[in-house]
Amino acid sequence: MKLIKFEIVTPERMVLQEQVQQVVAPTKAGEITVLPGHIPLVSSLQSGVIEVKNEKGEYEVMSVSGGFLEVLKDKVVVLADTAERAEELDEKRIEEARARAEESKKDIRTFDRERFASISAKMAKELARSKAAKRWRKLKNID
Amino acid sequence: MASIKDIQRRIKSVKNTRKVTKAMEMVAAAKMRKAIESVLKTRTYANLSWETILNISKAANGAAAGHKLLVKRDKVERVGIILITSNRGLCGGFNTNIITKAHKSIEMHHKDGKKVEFVTIGKKGIGAKKYYGYDVVAEFPKEDIITEVKEVYDIAKLVIDDYTSGKYDKVMVAYTDFVNAATQEPRVKQLLPVDINAEDEYLGVVGSDTRVGTTKEMIEEKTEKHLSDEKYDLDYTFEPSPMEVLDEMIPRLIEVQLFQALLESNASEHSARMTAMHQATDAASDMISELTLSYNKARQEKITNEIAEITAGANALSM
Repeated sequence: MKLIKFEIVTPERMVLQEQVQQVVAPTKAGEITVLPGHIPLVSSLQSGVIEVKNEKGEYEVMSVSGGFLEVLKDKVVVLADTAERAEELDEKRIEEARARAEESKKDIRTFDRERFASISAKMAKELARSKAAKRWRKLKNID
Repeated sequence: MASIKDIQRRIKSVKNTRKVTKAMEMVAAAKMRKAIESVLKTRTYANLSWETILNISKAANGAAAGHKLLVKRDKVERVGIILITSNRGLCGGFNTNIITKAHKSIEMHHKDGKKVEFVTIGKKGIGAKKYYGYDVVAEFPKEDIITEVKEVYDIAKLVIDDYTSGKYDKVMVAYTDFVNAATQEPRVKQLLPVDINAEDEYLGVVGSDTRVGTTKEMIEEKTEKHLSDEKYDLDYTFEPSPMEVLDEMIPRLIEVQLFQALLESNASEHSARMTAMHQATDAASDMISELTLSYNKARQEKITNEIAEITAGANALSM
């Protein structure tokens, strides 16, 4: 079986590095699936969920917010702005963070453009994290 | 020979100096630990992204052709160098080394009448002007502890804008690579245009691992490993479009490179200061023991003299 060497790094750390069968990633142009032998590709990512199927056929789920994806013939590198693995995520805290971001978005919508953008980005990030956590639970059948 | 009083005074003063250097050594050690932690955290990201971007530059004759930050200019007339130094001295040869390195590399590759300008980060960067007479066009302040990429946004924007507008034909960064607490390596790296065919000296992946591609061959070898067995045409596809992706990607990665260079320099600075202060403390200790020796000698001599005088006096009386 052909495998892809998958690496996902953020400025803070190496999130995951392993051999995988397939990678699903949210690019700016839509969600793509990378299988072994994919043509070399460079694309920018948007906030969302990355799903990889590892050697044993199990799924790993990660949330990302922005970054880049480089596909080489047997290697996929994700340079993410932030990324977390779903099992590290605490759903309750994410919901809280999201609520807080939404709240502050309401507050400042009227006056500060830059802050509005930064809070919107934060919300997108929290949304991606919550999606990842949900997807993870669904895959693992945890209720 | 100096009088006993003089020697005593000197011993006291050297002891005070030793206290100061000892304290500075410890402060530097604490700062160094923090700096090393942050430099190691971002190194993987910086290295991987630099490799990615060099790979893309290699494929620049394909879909990425003509991107303004990748194209090498035919004639290089003006060079901008970002020089990262410390704010304060007392860190051994740290600042001298990096400035000399920058100067030498200019002599080597840009001797023939090219105009070189410096953008400095850290107060001591002014040395480039003082010692070698280079123009310093911008001075950025530097924080002692650097935590956020944000701090390099302005600098990155400045050089990217100046490069795009044609003010510079080449932009480099001179920084000190942190190898370990005892070794730091001054280095000059080419930021713009991103070009795998630049002089080997200018490629370099940030970081200590000397096996990580510092030459063109090493980077290509790695790329080939990525591409496994058969020869493979490295013609990237870009989604949504080459220009869109590269417009976003290259400035971002330049920022990351600058940030990493800053972190490396910071870690190096604190290590250099620690080493320098450690040596100063040792030197002070040596000096104190030497001075104590001559103090004892002088004291003994004085006592001997006094005894001799007393005995002479006593002899004279008893006669």
